[in-house]
Amino acid sequence: MKKVLSLFVFLAVLSCYSLGWAADKPKVTIYTSMYEDIIDAMTEVIKKRFPNYDVEFFYGGTGTLQAKIAAERETKKLGCDMLMLADPSYALELKAEGLLHPYLSKEAKNLALAYDPEGYWYPVRNLNMVLAYNPEKYKKEDLPKSFKDFAGDPDVKGAISMPNPLTAGTALVAVAALKNAYGYRYFDLLALNQVMVESGSVALTKLETGECREIMILEESVLKKREEEKSPLEVIYPSDGIIPIPSPIMTISDEWSAHANAKICDELTDFFLSSEGQSYIVKGWMHSVLKNPPAIPYDSKPLPELLKNAMHVNWEKCLTERSDLRKNFEDRVKRQKK
Amino acid sequence: MHPKDCVRVRPAWLDLKSVLIFGIVAFLLLFTVFPMLYLVFRTFVGDAGFTWEAFARIYTYDLNWTALSNTLVTALLAMVFGVLIAFPLAWLVGRTNLYGRRFFRTLFLMTYMVPPYVGAMAWLRLLNPRVGTLNLWLMDVLGLAEAPFNIYSISGLVWVLTCFYYPYAFITISRAMENMDPSLEEAARISGASPFKTLMTVTLPIMLPSIVAAALLVFISAASCYGIPSIIGAPGQIDTVTTRIIDYVYVGSAEGLSDATSLAVSLMFLANLVLWASTFLCGKKQYFTVSGKSTRPNMVDLGRWRLPLTLLVVLFAVVVIVLPFVTVALTSITQNLGKPLGLDNFTGRFWTILVTRKGILDTATNSLIAASVAATAGMVIACVMAWLLTRTRAKGRRIPDFLITLGSSTPSVVIALGLIMTMSGRFGINIYNTLTIMIIAYMVKYQLMGMRTVVSAMTQIHPSLEEAAQISGAVWTRCFWDVTLPLIAPSVVAGWFLIFMPSFYELTMSTLLYSVNTKTIGYELYTYQTYHSQQTASAIATAILLLVIVVNYLLFRLTKGRFSL
Repeated sequence: MKKVLSLFVFLAVLSCYSLGWAADKPKVTIYTSMYEDIIDAMTEVIKKRFPNYDVEFFYGGTGTLQAKIAAERETKKLGCDMLMLADPSYALELKAEGLLHPYLSKEAKNLALAYDPEGYWYPVRNLNMVLAYNPEKYKKEDLPKSFKDFAGDPDVKGAISMPNPLTAGTALVAVAALKNAYGYRYFDLLALNQVMVESGSVALTKLETGECREIMILEESVLKKREEEKSPLEVIYPSDGIIPIPSPIMTISDEWSAHANAKICDELTDFFLSSEGQSYIVKGWMHSVLKNPPAIPYDSKPLPELLKNAMHVNWEKCLTERSDLRKNFEDRVKRQKK
Repeated sequence: MHPKDCVRVRPAWLDLKSVLIFGIVAFLLLFTVFPMLYLVFRTFVGDAGFTWEAFARIYTYDLNWTALSNTLVTALLAMVFGVLIAFPLAWLVGRTNLYGRRFFRTLFLMTYMVPPYVGAMAWLRLLNPRVGTLNLWLMDVLGLAEAPFNIYSISGLVWVLTCFYYPYAFITISRAMENMDPSLEEAARISGASPFKTLMTVTLPIMLPSIVAAALLVFISAASCYGIPSIIGAPGQIDTVTTRIIDYVYVGSAEGLSDATSLAVSLMFLANLVLWASTFLCGKKQYFTVSGKSTRPNMVDLGRWRLPLTLLVVLFAVVVIVLPFVTVALTSITQNLGKPLGLDNFTGRFWTILVTRKGILDTATNSLIAASVAATAGMVIACVMAWLLTRTRAKGRRIPDFLITLGSSTPSVVIALGLIMTMSGRFGINIYNTLTIMIIAYMVKYQLMGMRTVVSAMTQIHPSLEEAAQISGAVWTRCFWDVTLPLIAPSVVAGWFLIFMPSFYELTMSTLLYSVNTKTIGYELYTYQTYHSQQTASAIATAILLLVIVVNYLLFRLTKGRFSL
């Protein structure tokens, strides 16, 4: 028995020692809401392209990471050097508060989407909020083809699901666009149609098992499942327009960043915006932001074609209305009575 | 000082006791009491001085009141059902000749070793009203037109909470039951009482303090749980205080954080109230249930009830343990969850991801380190406390005992928020974003389970053995190492695991405390469950369960049967 105990003590001491190691290469930490599959692939590429730097990704949902940053600001130092979060309005906020480092990238001229003229942020990947269904369980003809009917069609009552704007940046953008198009009345309709508010993986499983008939979700999550798991799930590009989300990349100023390596971050920005960097974005089922994209995501359509029928989002307004949107969503949807 | 104390004191001995007590108390004051008090302080005193504003904003919002009442109702019901399940189970497994009692004991403890939110996702699959597997099966068998169960409801929430928190009561009650003096029961039996009457009139009343302690533990765990309500409650729009608190934190602003704090304070008061009530209830009923030289309690012969009761326990185990775990395990190898599992729908890729994905391996390492250190440090404190409580009459030895109970009864969210607010440099200590803050949080929360195990083992060892060693000339350290430790070793290892496992997969506190280098497997698992892939999450959960089974088996072998969970 004493041997077992000694072993435990030994293990504990060993684990204490292993905490002490340190790396000596200049380090960059990137908070991102990209999938971990893509993170793994990108980490490998960056290790090859930038062997002298230690670049580390840290995954979290946009809302989660924003909360983390809010807590870190209290300590006067952030845990990251770069951000690749989903919500474009967050870039405007951080720029206004003076946390960002400006850089005029040589790749900017190739961008198809709007970027900050002073170089505080660039779009690095385009996500689309769409609808999805499972053709193995339900017929497309029987399902709503627009965001409007998604909330308004009593046929799908209790069998629809959407992400939570309180925790997910992309969902917040989506409800901002929908509110812009249909007013706060849209939230009431969602509540009447008994929408389930939950995260992507849970919703996709429910679509697969047939528990949900239709869900509001990011295009990439469905494409990923189609390619990787040969899933039958299909995207419906809503007739009242997809909601495009040009997610930004930004660098924290040396004063606030974890490792004060803004110069290295500039090199990384160029890389992410280059054709090579963008090819990994596309492999991650997101759309490239370049005028000449290296490819289109698996099973998707070219972005310019999709953008022909898209809801317009005013990012300035999205920022100023943020707490109003959250509050209204909470009041109108979360308090729905069954 | 009393004159009697002045005679023949051994200063070093006395000093050591005071130093130990002082050290433990200082640790607990700093990391348990201070953060809690600061939370209360911050609720009323903002940057601009004293104000009711934050407090009023939170407590005039009806959604928060609904959440508060949901928490109260679900936690109370889970507590009642948890104890109602745990008591008979503990009795059957610990004190009767039930078939396979050792096996069942391990099986019931196994639930404690599995992350509760993993169970939540299994029940989601089994009991959702539209296509829940179990619902469909019941509809088919019973010819029902509608699904009999809806998991997205208060009762669904209570069901899953009960399934995953009754083991806390089971552990507490069965430990007390195995330690109790059998002579009282024997007296009742000799006087002609039936086994059932003995149970109701002797065993039950003696057990009351333990039952209250068990109930308290279930209540606090259920009330401060985040994983289960976030998965089960979200689709049905059932908020609890914990989900509201995390929502507030996720707003991502300073105001959100202070709103979360204000709401956390009510959860803290609720928990403290229950703690106070239970001490008040039990304080006057201190039974001496454990005699000096304890013998193993006698076994009740179930007679003709032996087989039916065993079958009942089997049924319970199948529904509550086997069914959800098999669901999780099968999910991890299913390609398309909309189709039945067959050869064409089988995949090993989620297990491949599990062993190749850097994020999963790194977080597992972090959790392994944090949980091992928390468990080891926790057991050191537990051994010291056990010695102080059972072998000394040192003044103030009950203070650390009380503080440890206080820490464990504090909801996880509150501990985490308190630590963030106080340990991120504002008061000269900055351990935020380090593994240390996680370790401390785990110790504060799970110390109690480990300590109780060792204390109860120590009370079973008669001091005469140690006295014999001392008379033979052994100093107390040697006496502890050679006599006491080998005797309590199985309990020390068991206690180590009772701290290690919940720390290993901890979610609620880790959600708030993690950082770039300190993400834990519990949080990673939750991330996979909610954002990436349920199948990968299922693979991680199954792996944790397999690990527990293997470790348990190895320990059982290594110790030649003296130890098993």
